[in-house]
Amino acid sequence: MAARVLQQCVRSFAQPSLRLCSSNLALRVTAVQAVAVHRPLSFAADSRRTRWLVQSRIPSVGVLCRQYGDLPPLTLETIKERVMYVLKLYDKINPEKLQTSSHFMKDLGLDSLDQVEIIMAMEDEFGFEIPDAEAEKLMTPEEIVQYIADKKDVYE
Amino acid sequence: MTVSRLPSAALSLKQFLHRQNVLGIYRNILRTIRRVPDEADRKFLRDWAREEFHRNKNVTHEDAIRMMITQASNHLAELQKSLALAHS
Repeated sequence: MAARVLQQCVRSFAQPSLRLCSSNLALRVTAVQAVAVHRPLSFAADSRRTRWLVQSRIPSVGVLCRQYGDLPPLTLETIKERVMYVLKLYDKINPEKLQTSSHFMKDLGLDSLDQVEIIMAMEDEFGFEIPDAEAEKLMTPEEIVQYIADKKDVYE
Repeated sequence: MTVSRLPSAALSLKQFLHRQNVLGIYRNILRTIRRVPDEADRKFLRDWAREEFHRNKNVTHEDAIRMMITQASNHLAELQKSLALAHS
């Protein structure tokens, strides 16, 4: 309810030909924030009444703010989780023995063919290609996370 | 007479090159298999490739290795040709 009121207040904000004076609106917005739950109906009625006065079409908020589509941003934590998840799904790895610092060949007993498969799986998961020369150097989950963070410009 | 300072487990140059070759071909095969349209076919081909490569990974005879590399390259070329035909 309060969200709808806020939305209407923002809509009336977005109107260029609004006849409300700015102080009135500021007062209303702050009042909404302070008295959020208690008197929503009166504010809704108020903004609707003022909207009747202004006869132009009410644009939605989207006119003044741009919207783009993209994947959620990567963080070191999410990269690490996804890498570990993919590794746990790999059938030749024992999930209990897996840690971020476990070396594929020395600790987990995999060979270079398995390492190629693992890097392929990472390519599938993160959606970008890893060239051969750099792929064969990635020997622990930690290194994979670092490499992906380097390529995707993720830093903390 | 030069004494090699490499550890005894290090590969000779030829073996090293073969190893690079094999890994490169394996990676190319897996990448080509990704482009196959049907999921069941993909799984079958992946399992076939894994099986073949893992079965022969301990071969040391150089001629056998070279023959197998040639075979793998032929398989790869065939797969790519079939995919090109399928997509055209």
